[in-house]
Amino acid sequence: MSRLCRWATACMAVALITCSQTVFSAENTDLTSLKNEIAEMRKLYEQKIMLLEQKVTTLQTQQDEIKNQAPAAQVASAPATSQRNIGSNDFNPSIGAILQGKYNSFSKRNSEFSGFAVGEEGERSSEGFTLDETEINLAASIDDKFRGSSTIALVQEDGTQVELEEAYIETLALPFGVNAKAGRFFASIGYLNEYHSHADDFTDRPLPYRVFLNKQYNDDGIQASWIAPTDLYTELGFGLFRGSDFPGGGEGDSNIGAWTAFGRIGGDVGDNSAWRLGLSTLQVDDLERSSNEDELEFVGDNKMYIVDSRYIWAPTGNNRDKELILQAEYMRRDEDGVYDDLAAGSGPVSYDEDQSGWYAQGVYKFHPQWRLGARYSQLNPGSVPSALLGTALDDQNHDPKSFSLMADWTNSEFSRLRLQYNAEELSDNNRDHQITLQYIMSMGAHAAHPF
Amino acid sequence: MNIHKRFLLFLIKLLLLLVLLPSSAFAQLNIFACAPEWGALAKEIGGTQVSVYAASNAAQDIHHLRARPSFLAKMRKADLVFCTGASLESGWLPVLLQKAGDPKVQPGNVGHLMASDYVMRLEIPEAVDRSMGDVHSEGNPHIHLNPHNLILIADELSKRLAKLLPQQAKLFNKNFEDFHTHWLSNIDRWEQQTLSLNNKNVVVYHSNWIYLLEWLKLNRIATLEPVPGIPPRISHLETVLNSVQDLNIKGILLTPYQQNKAAAWLSKHSDIPVIELPYTVGGNEKAKDLESLFEETLRILLGTDA
Repeated sequence: MSRLCRWATACMAVALITCSQTVFSAENTDLTSLKNEIAEMRKLYEQKIMLLEQKVTTLQTQQDEIKNQAPAAQVASAPATSQRNIGSNDFNPSIGAILQGKYNSFSKRNSEFSGFAVGEEGERSSEGFTLDETEINLAASIDDKFRGSSTIALVQEDGTQVELEEAYIETLALPFGVNAKAGRFFASIGYLNEYHSHADDFTDRPLPYRVFLNKQYNDDGIQASWIAPTDLYTELGFGLFRGSDFPGGGEGDSNIGAWTAFGRIGGDVGDNSAWRLGLSTLQVDDLERSSNEDELEFVGDNKMYIVDSRYIWAPTGNNRDKELILQAEYMRRDEDGVYDDLAAGSGPVSYDEDQSGWYAQGVYKFHPQWRLGARYSQLNPGSVPSALLGTALDDQNHDPKSFSLMADWTNSEFSRLRLQYNAEELSDNNRDHQITLQYIMSMGAHAAHPF
Repeated sequence: MNIHKRFLLFLIKLLLLLVLLPSSAFAQLNIFACAPEWGALAKEIGGTQVSVYAASNAAQDIHHLRARPSFLAKMRKADLVFCTGASLESGWLPVLLQKAGDPKVQPGNVGHLMASDYVMRLEIPEAVDRSMGDVHSEGNPHIHLNPHNLILIADELSKRLAKLLPQQAKLFNKNFEDFHTHWLSNIDRWEQQTLSLNNKNVVVYHSNWIYLLEWLKLNRIATLEPVPGIPPRISHLETVLNSVQDLNIKGILLTPYQQNKAAAWLSKHSDIPVIELPYTVGGNEKAKDLESLFEETLRILLGTDA
């Protein structure tokens, strides 16, 4: 009995142990996976907490920054203290200054365009050292809807003159791709006209810009443009102007002396090249303009049409290393009115002729700091009424032309040195070899990289 | 008056043109991303509800882009402008916004997201002067190579998308949560994998690696550019060569768009290998999205680990 009892006990004990062991091992696996899960969760939460901590630190720094600025702002309402200026500085516009200087050497003493009425700035620049234009630009958002910009140029022309190159406001928040501008600004016609000369690829403007626009058309007025919601870049715009800047002049008898219209399309070819094509017009009515050092007077209408094109290719994909820029423009002008050459004593002669001009240029950046460029420009003076033969408008069967080669070195985005050679033949048998050394430096605000 | 009549006629023609052009309606949000990494992140969070345009690719130095006509066309249709900020795109983005941007993508509005506003920026200079080169007063803008930063940015992105397209808010939130969880486990794995890189020395071409170096605890011994944005010159390279001679340097880090002549010169004279990392999405064949960008970056860094 006791043996049986002992056996049964042993049996039970074995069963119990086995049983409990199974239970225990099952519990053990559960526990491990639970533990793992908890560890996983903890890790996840730790990371989430870390993330939150990071956020808190970021916010803290931002708050500290705000706090640091706050005392200055509070003091700003108190009477003059040194901190007051710091407070108001926050809203100062971005300030940029462009310093430009040139050294010109010419082989001919005189340089006159044959067959064209030319304004003062269209003429050859002065020989020797010249400061050209020194520009000061102030620009800032005015509020959430408007932006303002003004550029004051100090120009060296018979002593130093102050010129208000641009002073305009433009809209920031018009919907549907509409944009409006008012004030004095470079009208959107052609390609080069919109840009300040310090952004140019050559030291001087091509011939058509010099004779037809006196380098650049900037007038007082308004301009509106609209970008279409298409994949192909399409922009249409128009402007109304006073009409007092060359080729305009005088007050005329109309409130609006000039208008412009332009259309542009553009896009990419693959990843590494882009193009733009434009068509624009500038029409000035009832203008009274004197040119050629006040020796030539014109009264009448001026209708001008411009085709512009530009193509940029970055061979390696990165335009910082290598870049090819090709650009060409064609201008055609019809002047209908009366010319009077005071110097030649022609008396008023009625004139209705077409004149045209074009240029093509290429600039190749072969190293992040070095570029080479070539440009050719030519003018077609059209025909001259016989009564104006022997005057400044007499082209003497010569088409003014100019060929240029340039090399420039760009240390950083803010400084550039340039050497340029021009072979310019503006009148018959008067080939002028010109060498120009130029520096262009910009201080302060970062300039835009236009297309 | 003649001029008025002519002008009126022109205006009428213009209006006709406007009316005749088809107005297109978009169900999706159009995202203008300045850089490939932001394009990739926008796709992760926006999913099928967004159409993403990346303005640059990995071969381009984003700071030096031009305001191309095609950018204007894309900006015109953008509901969200997703860029780096901290002045990295200051040469071309403001022009685009001003000329073609809708009111909702202008600075301060919901459609204007500058990633660097949402992370801790490093190298914020105490004072700036152009003689220091192309430094940014807001700090170093090349923020995307610390994967922790991407979570912070993705979080903000999902909120912006939800505001712009409220009917899809749940989806954007879910996409962010999924990205978050997945990314955290990635980070954990990457950090385990790269323990061997801690405290190793590197030379960089430009100061656009600092966030990666910080994350992996790598030391930057020298920069090939004398000051940011100025290409290396031989005199500066010689100084760099002297400074690295007695050190154990792991490699010279380059992006696909940086010219490697200077790096090759230094490598030749010092036997330090040049390591070209993808830098951003599309930087090499395998770096197809953000995850593979990091996988590739770490693979290359570890692979060259002696």
